[in-house]
Amino acid sequence: MLLNHLRFGCRRLAVATCLRSLPSSAPIAQTLSSRIPFALTCVPHQPIRQSSSDQRWNQDSYEQYQKRKTRDTAYYVLSVVVLAIGLTFAAVPAYRMFCESTAYGGTTQIAKDTDKIEKMRRMDQRLIRVQFNADTHSSMRWNFRPLQTDIYVHPGETALAFYTASNDTNKPIIGMSTYNIIPFQAAYYFCKIQCFCFEEQILNPGEKVDMPVFFYIDPDYVDDPALEYTDDIILSYTFFEAKKGLKLPNPFDQPSAQKQIAPAAS
Amino acid sequence: MSTTGAYQPRFKQTAPIKGSFPLDHEGECKGPMLDYMLCLNDKGQRNSDCRDLAKVYFDCRMKHNLMAKEDWNKLGYGTDQSSSNTVGGASAVE
Repeated sequence: MLLNHLRFGCRRLAVATCLRSLPSSAPIAQTLSSRIPFALTCVPHQPIRQSSSDQRWNQDSYEQYQKRKTRDTAYYVLSVVVLAIGLTFAAVPAYRMFCESTAYGGTTQIAKDTDKIEKMRRMDQRLIRVQFNADTHSSMRWNFRPLQTDIYVHPGETALAFYTASNDTNKPIIGMSTYNIIPFQAAYYFCKIQCFCFEEQILNPGEKVDMPVFFYIDPDYVDDPALEYTDDIILSYTFFEAKKGLKLPNPFDQPSAQKQIAPAAS
Repeated sequence: MSTTGAYQPRFKQTAPIKGSFPLDHEGECKGPMLDYMLCLNDKGQRNSDCRDLAKVYFDCRMKHNLMAKEDWNKLGYGTDQSSSNTVGGASAVE
């Protein structure tokens, strides 16, 4: 108790407590506390300095102050970490939106209207050679190849090309394809109207099918200075097997036949 | 491809406009397809000379329910698809 009074600079109370603790000085303490004006002696929250018994008080509060500072710093750092993680997650859609709106980095155009196809003009001044390449994953047992090695096409004109795939095994195999276009700058202008990529295609044992690719090269191709001397584009498809050891229903059943037609009708 | 600095062009895959062609399992449109391929062969792989046969192929596909029916204009077969360079070519339809 006495220590607390010393800590918080309340001399009057400190003296009173001291005197009170002496058995015979209770009345003196009373007089003292009533006589000495409050304002003169009791000054709360003023640190008493330069006294050895107060060093511990300084130390304690300094430690507390340090602890508080450390805690605040820790909170700051933690909030920065949380912010950074949040930004990492937010960066993915933000970057996608940025790329789509500014066409930075060779992203292809999105949201092509069929109106554009209606209105575009064929650019006779450029003749582009589109070469076709076909690949399969090493464990994919389809025979997949293009039916033409190349095709000469003007920008602004829709073109049709064919690939063929055959399943020479005795099991139905589901394949899914992905494509790639080189050079990347030209990929921006290569627009596919309809093809056979990103959808699972089933081939029954012994079946052979033709797969068309319906595409066009955007007429703005002729205005791109980076593509002034680029007259060759390579379109490459790669087929992967979709699922292993799957029991397939008959693909000529009504529901799956409708499922195959539905994407084209969308 | 210029590969200096950090501005590497990146390839982004996009979905085709009209989706995916259903597979022609029964080979119903194999005839028009072969006609088209033979034409390409004859004409030195030039697309402009064989577009009409491609139209026949699409017609076959649409008939057999292997392709969504679409206006020929929207597939690039409109009558005002003339080239921009020929004299008296580009019609005034705009």
